[in-house]
Amino acid sequence: MKSAGGYAPARIRGHERNHGKTVASVLFLGGLGLMLFELISAVPFGSAPMQVGQAIAGEAFARTGADNIVTAILLGYRGLDTLGEVTILFTAAAAAGMVLAGAGRGEAQGQEAGFIFRTAAWMLFPFLLVLGAYIIIHGHLTPGGGFQGGAILAAAFFTPLLASPASPFNHRVAILVEGFAGLVFVVIGLAGLAKGAFLTQLLGTGTPGALLSAGSLPVLYVAIGLKVGSELAGLMARVFGEGSARS
Amino acid sequence: MSQSLPAIIYPVAIPLMGAFLLPIGARRMAELAGLFGRIVVLLSFSTSLALAVSIWTAGPAVSAMGGFAAPLGIVFYADRLAMLFLLALNVAVFLFWPRGQGAKGGPCTLMLALLAGGSGLILSGDLFNIFVFYEITAVASYGLAASGRTHAGFAAALRFLILGSVGSSLMLIGIALIYARTGTLNLADLSRIAPHALTGPVGLAAFILLLAGLGVKAELVPLNTWVPEVYGAAPARVSALLAGVVSKLAMVVALRFVVQVFPGDGAHTVLLVAGILGVLAGELAAWRAGSLMETFSYSSIAQLGMVALAFSISGAAGIAAGIALALHHAVVKPAFFMLAARWRGPVGGLAGAVKDSPLAVWLFVILSLSIIGIPPFPGFWAKFLFLKAAFAAPSAGVWIAVFVMLAGTVVEAAYLFRAVLVFFADGERGGSTPRFAFAQLAPALGLGAVLLAAMVFIAPLGASISGMADEASNAAAMAARVLDRGE
Repeated sequence: MKSAGGYAPARIRGHERNHGKTVASVLFLGGLGLMLFELISAVPFGSAPMQVGQAIAGEAFARTGADNIVTAILLGYRGLDTLGEVTILFTAAAAAGMVLAGAGRGEAQGQEAGFIFRTAAWMLFPFLLVLGAYIIIHGHLTPGGGFQGGAILAAAFFTPLLASPASPFNHRVAILVEGFAGLVFVVIGLAGLAKGAFLTQLLGTGTPGALLSAGSLPVLYVAIGLKVGSELAGLMARVFGEGSARS
Repeated sequence: MSQSLPAIIYPVAIPLMGAFLLPIGARRMAELAGLFGRIVVLLSFSTSLALAVSIWTAGPAVSAMGGFAAPLGIVFYADRLAMLFLLALNVAVFLFWPRGQGAKGGPCTLMLALLAGGSGLILSGDLFNIFVFYEITAVASYGLAASGRTHAGFAAALRFLILGSVGSSLMLIGIALIYARTGTLNLADLSRIAPHALTGPVGLAAFILLLAGLGVKAELVPLNTWVPEVYGAAPARVSALLAGVVSKLAMVVALRFVVQVFPGDGAHTVLLVAGILGVLAGELAAWRAGSLMETFSYSSIAQLGMVALAFSISGAAGIAAGIALALHHAVVKPAFFMLAARWRGPVGGLAGAVKDSPLAVWLFVILSLSIIGIPPFPGFWAKFLFLKAAFAAPSAGVWIAVFVMLAGTVVEAAYLFRAVLVFFADGERGGSTPRFAFAQLAPALGLGAVLLAAMVFIAPLGASISGMADEASNAAAMAARVLDRGE
């Protein structure tokens, strides 16, 4: 299985092959782009057959009581997808945690940030916490929700760590929150079995627009927010913090 | 006509709860993580078994998640084919549960996530939901591929991750194309709309894009470059699980797409070409491979190519042959991997192995005879079903498929007998090849026993598979079960 250029010095051969690879990659990407362009142009834009979309838009509010129709779809109609997406993040974090465990970290990452950032990081902490919580618990009323709020919660815990990597991060609490938040999601889903099917909405629809409305959907969002927040924070703490604190 | 069975979520929910809970306990009591995980798998298995019994007696079951009836919400659809592979997945996860150093919190969590994802994949009747569960399965398998914590393992897992992510993105584009053309994601709904809305190059492109995603897991040419590297570097239990069962789940999902969304000739031809290339490339590479581990990695590509060939023959007979081939491979290949994991290095170094570990060598012989297709072993019946299906639906493509299948079988026989001859080489005193501890041989022996049991019960097994294929090939009846429920 020797190539025809087997007599050429290894360095030159490697060099030539890299050129070939670049040309091949460009050609491949160009071809793929052209193919996708052709395909997309064969699909009429803006006049898609929206039978499912229209039907959901027509009845979503009445059935779920959620003012934010995105939430009605995300947690109601496609709640199982959302549980699946949370699980993808969880699985990725578990895999990354397993791979990163015990990996050495470079000097540069252990560097303290400047005075201004270090001070601001702790001053931002309570505000980020409140903002994250607000976005999570209003997810069924206004744009936002568990994923967005969870990312802000993670930032609240992660910013101080970025400012000074030696500051403590409690992985045990993060893992505890992560696990139980996921459990709450599945248990609420299983409780729905009593009313007919997995993830059936519980507790009625409530008064539209009220903070306590849309039944169990906000509870699901709180679980998602806590889970996403603790997962992201724990993952980033593993990458940037902890190890340098120990060494 | 179809039963509503909300409990069908349990095979997904139970391992999912286990995966969420396991890291909490594993931090304090690492040695209990493995035990806890096994209990969760047993619980999931017994629930799946109970559900399977109910589906075998009362017919296929449907459950509309959140009470939102199809096509607005997500449905789970469970027929006998789905339950068969669900049970196979549960058994395989239990059998190949990590041991020793690998049995820490991380790998155990990933195993449970893989079980939850794979179960959802096989049960879901919704295109995007299938994608989500496919991603869970994929991400868990990237992590498991690296769980051996070796440099080779990390490198292989990273390449696997990159290839898999590109495949998944293409699959998502395919789903978007289908949704843009039909306005629905429900497979049953699609089976009514797609035949007239998803025609021409857009429909075929959508199928190829979906297959590009599934093909990474199903080891289809040319998306299987990760196979020899990952199976060589990952722990043998992980290789056995991925090659044995997880690849088949992707194949069954591809079958669902062909039956329900792409019943035209185009999709069948694509599967046929992928199958031909897979069989040829896999068998020839296996013949050239140096070690047993490599041989079986490549031969697994060839075997999945044969399943694709069978599924490319339209009608229930082809599906039955594909199921039989997939099931046979799911029993035989993991056993081969468990043997190869002990017999690492060049095949030539295993001369005289029959004196050191006679049981393992004889098991190897039986597995080889079955996978080549010598009667009366079950592998013969699987290949026989394939030929029968081909002769019933003759066409130029099918004849090429038959020829490739037989040629592949000859190559297969050549390299397996070559290995067996080395094991029985005369003049070797033995003592130079690794011996097996019982715990190392036990999973392979268990699978060998299953194979021999299948030989005895081949008649009822064949009848049950053909019933399963009839059920899974009838798209109109499936659509009626999901959509016309009179609620």
